[in-house]
Amino acid sequence: MTTISLTINGRPQGPVAIRDDLTMNDFLREVLGMTGTKFGCGAAQCLSCAVIIDEADGTSATMPTCIAPAVSFDGKAIRTVEGHARDGRLTPLQARFIEHFAFQCGYCTPGFLNEGQVLLERLEKAPIARADLERVVAEALDGHLCRCSGYVKYHEAVRAVILADPARYLA
Amino acid sequence: MRASRRDFVKLGMAGGIAVTLSRLGPAQAASGPQPFLGHETLPQTGLGGPISGRIDGVAKVTGAKLYASDFRASDMPGWPTRTSHALLVRAHDASHVYEGLDLARLDPAAVPDVVVTAADLARLGVTVPAFYAGDLLCPVGETPLYLGQPVALLLFAQFDAYDRARLAFREGGMLRFGRETGPLKRPNYAAYRFTRVAGATPEAPDLYAPIREGWISPGFTESSGRPIWAPLPVAEGGAYAEGARHGEAIRAELKAADPAVLTLERAFTTQSVDPMFLEPEAGLAWYEPSSKVLDIVLGVQSPFEAAESVATLLGSAQADRRPARIDAKFAYVGGGFGGRDHTPFPLYVALAALFLPSRPVRLAHDRFQQFQGGVKRHAFAMRSQIGVDRASGLIRAFAADHVLDGGGLANYSASVATVGATGAIGLYDVPKVDVTTVAEHSRGVTAGSMRGYGTLQTMTALETLIDEVAVALPLDPIELRRRNALPPGGRTMTGNPFSVSVRAPEILDKLEAHSIWRDRALHQRQARPGVLVGTGVACAAKDYGTGADCSLGAVSIDPEGRIAIHSDAVEMGNGIGTALANRVAAHLGRRADAVTVAQVDAFDALGLRSSGDPYAISQAEQDAAARDPRWVPAISSPTSASIGAQVGTHAAAEAARVVFRFGLWPAALALWAIDSGDPRARQWRDAYWQGDRLILSGLPPLPLKAIAAEAHQQGGVTGAMTHAFSRWAWAEATFGLPGEDWTADIDALAVRRGAGGFIRIDRRAVAFPPTEYNRIGTAFTSMCGTVVRVEIDRASGALTIAKAYSVLECGAVLVPQVVLGQAQGGFAMGVGYALLETLPPFEDGPGNGQWNLGRYLVARGSDLPLHDLEIEVLPPLSPREPPKGMAEVVMIPVVPALLNAIHAATGHRFQSLPVTQAMIKGVLG
Repeated sequence: MTTISLTINGRPQGPVAIRDDLTMNDFLREVLGMTGTKFGCGAAQCLSCAVIIDEADGTSATMPTCIAPAVSFDGKAIRTVEGHARDGRLTPLQARFIEHFAFQCGYCTPGFLNEGQVLLERLEKAPIARADLERVVAEALDGHLCRCSGYVKYHEAVRAVILADPARYLA
Repeated sequence: MRASRRDFVKLGMAGGIAVTLSRLGPAQAASGPQPFLGHETLPQTGLGGPISGRIDGVAKVTGAKLYASDFRASDMPGWPTRTSHALLVRAHDASHVYEGLDLARLDPAAVPDVVVTAADLARLGVTVPAFYAGDLLCPVGETPLYLGQPVALLLFAQFDAYDRARLAFREGGMLRFGRETGPLKRPNYAAYRFTRVAGATPEAPDLYAPIREGWISPGFTESSGRPIWAPLPVAEGGAYAEGARHGEAIRAELKAADPAVLTLERAFTTQSVDPMFLEPEAGLAWYEPSSKVLDIVLGVQSPFEAAESVATLLGSAQADRRPARIDAKFAYVGGGFGGRDHTPFPLYVALAALFLPSRPVRLAHDRFQQFQGGVKRHAFAMRSQIGVDRASGLIRAFAADHVLDGGGLANYSASVATVGATGAIGLYDVPKVDVTTVAEHSRGVTAGSMRGYGTLQTMTALETLIDEVAVALPLDPIELRRRNALPPGGRTMTGNPFSVSVRAPEILDKLEAHSIWRDRALHQRQARPGVLVGTGVACAAKDYGTGADCSLGAVSIDPEGRIAIHSDAVEMGNGIGTALANRVAAHLGRRADAVTVAQVDAFDALGLRSSGDPYAISQAEQDAAARDPRWVPAISSPTSASIGAQVGTHAAAEAARVVFRFGLWPAALALWAIDSGDPRARQWRDAYWQGDRLILSGLPPLPLKAIAAEAHQQGGVTGAMTHAFSRWAWAEATFGLPGEDWTADIDALAVRRGAGGFIRIDRRAVAFPPTEYNRIGTAFTSMCGTVVRVEIDRASGALTIAKAYSVLECGAVLVPQVVLGQAQGGFAMGVGYALLETLPPFEDGPGNGQWNLGRYLVARGSDLPLHDLEIEVLPPLSPREPPKGMAEVVMIPVVPALLNAIHAATGHRFQSLPVTQAMIKGVLG
């Protein structure tokens, strides 16, 4: 057993003692009851379980939680799908996902939402040329698996957020 | 009994146990118990509105607890707060005698609190529902019937113990097996022969057709278990012998060496695949002995069936452990594709609760377990013969033999076999057809319903064969299809015409005119060095509906003009809630404020009663039963077979028409000061909505809110609840309503006046579709064509889809974005099926418990032409054309189009799936 503390969606969690081989996915879903983060494969292949890790240097990245032990998240700050909307308002990416009918069953949506949000934040810091937009979005989302949608509308929704605010995201 | 796509289900009591079904609303994700919403909140009234889009969108982008796998005991009001856990242990061996578990190998911290075996089930006295016939747990001392058959249910009070045990069982070595017996043999699940011989002219009656002669089955098998298809010279041949004689004559004609006829005979095999819906099956249940109530939370496509199956399972259990009531709650579904329609999983969820009384228990597959135990698509082995007149390009005759691997349990195998067989001539007009099909038992994982449902397999074989015919004649592939396309009114393989629009010529024209097809030679010539380019085309006509489809819907409007809809349809990503809202809005002028789906218990006011099997009932039985004004052939359907748009929204739309005609229209007349004698009082059909204002020519527009307030003030009809039944045609009934006998495509009706409750109105007359319609293969079809250009790297065999175009028709489009999304998703699933996905049969396959993503490949974004996929949806033929099912047809032509494109690029015809990069590289040398 190991005692861990971490920050989830800006709120401190822990200290809490957990088994060393408990996955982060089970920590979120079984210990904390935060089931917005999904379980899809347990093999880090579908990424429906991906959360955002915010590093101390201000960068962020997604990480699958289904094979990563929760103890490896000790001291980290993470964001999950439950933490995107603030004060009752959806983020632009959440709103575009709905408007564009990006998902169907929606089970993969938390992973796509986290990945898209990380991309937007990255582009804010390092804008890209318009000509690279399709490629950059495609590369960012490619690890995520969706069985319903054929991916097209996820990509459209992310691009729509960027194109709606080119001064922020495009060089 | 005839194969049916669904078993018959009844509402209310099953196995002597009272059953209630309700929908589990979304709960906002957070720690601690949360109240359930009784309905979905539309974006306009929820977070951050107004937003257009899916009505379930906010819940899905904010991580609300929505799916069955999200709920724990602490989320359930009134339940104990702690969740226990269940592990379903499955056999990885179906050739040796199972001798039990070796729990001594488990870490002490992973030992289960309760072990449930087949002997325990026998002591409890369970009754396995007929659809799932077989041992739910393999008894010790017997060879498992199939790979992945459950052998034990382990129950754990603590999650950590469960989790450790789960991992230990995955490692293996926990199950003991003894002597080798070889696989168990069981009879095949079904064998049918579909033979049709057309008359001399298109108008002449068929010389032989299943619609008239009945569906036939040989009834005799070889020692291998395969049917004997030839007519036997014995009297017992009966009806089969006559059909078989016609069939054999067709085959003889195909074998005859007629130089005027091009005859091809080809084999084609398709693989087993997994639906790979992203949410593995999960459920939660709590049995409280003191109250004798079993609460159960599930996520399935067939809630009605699941609840009744659980009741049947426990209906004859020991009295002290037999529930008096089952309260089944149904959550959203994280993907289905047919794989959650009639799955045995809910039975194990219920058993877990029965064997750990007073404690809520969760049973949830991980992905390895889902591969090992989840329902699969049938692998087909097909041999097809086609004879085509060389001069005209007209198909003279077609014959085929299909063998399906049904796996360990019957499930939907018989139905998939018949749907695949009757779809085997696609969208073509073929005067002589003879198709045999047999669905066999094997030791493989059980196969059942999955998107495409047999026709994906048979139409892939057909459309690649048609392409080969075109090359051999030679004739342009689209022109060949055009010459043979079924005309409106033309007869299907069973001898009946389609009763819906048939638009093959338009589809073919669109494909022919598209630049991908038009410029195919140019792109082939201009291929870069080392790259092979090919373009392929294919078309499909896919049935929708099952021949016994039900719809339940209720619509209410309050004095403020707010609209609420209830439906029994299930949301599995198909956008049914949004489609309901849009279809009702066409009648009531406003998109619903609340839509509740997967709800069956909201329709008690109809007092429905049912009996018999809607697929097998005789005309006399149906006529007698129909004298009871509350009787219907069936009550509720699974959400499957692409029926969401046509059937799932129908009852709500009919309810909305009643609310308009007998509630809003009289109120509008009052506001316009038009009395009942005025001719305009009968012009309700001429009124229409412009935004939320009702327009009748020459009168001031009326806002919905004012009309609704007046309707409530008058005590008019402010809510209606209907049931509808379709056997390739809607049942029609007449009801006495104020001032008018109302005849509509419904068979049960209840109405609400003002703020009152719903009161049933017994029908005065009813016409159910005749039972002879059960001989129809399908009367409903949608069509889709695909053209695709591929680029193949000659050195590696790597294939890239450069451009693709799919064109489809589906009648009225309720939610265009959902239709486009389904088409895009169908394209992706088609690509996976054609090029990537495969599960080996038997010991190397998923039944061994070692399969997961990574080893099993599905299409990702980088496998698809995300920026070069064009979807075109033809507009409805008329503003009144009803919606048609389209979720399956959009997948089908993608597969043969890809194979035909690969042939165009490489010159090689692959006749088994999937066509992998290694296979392509292999033929390129």
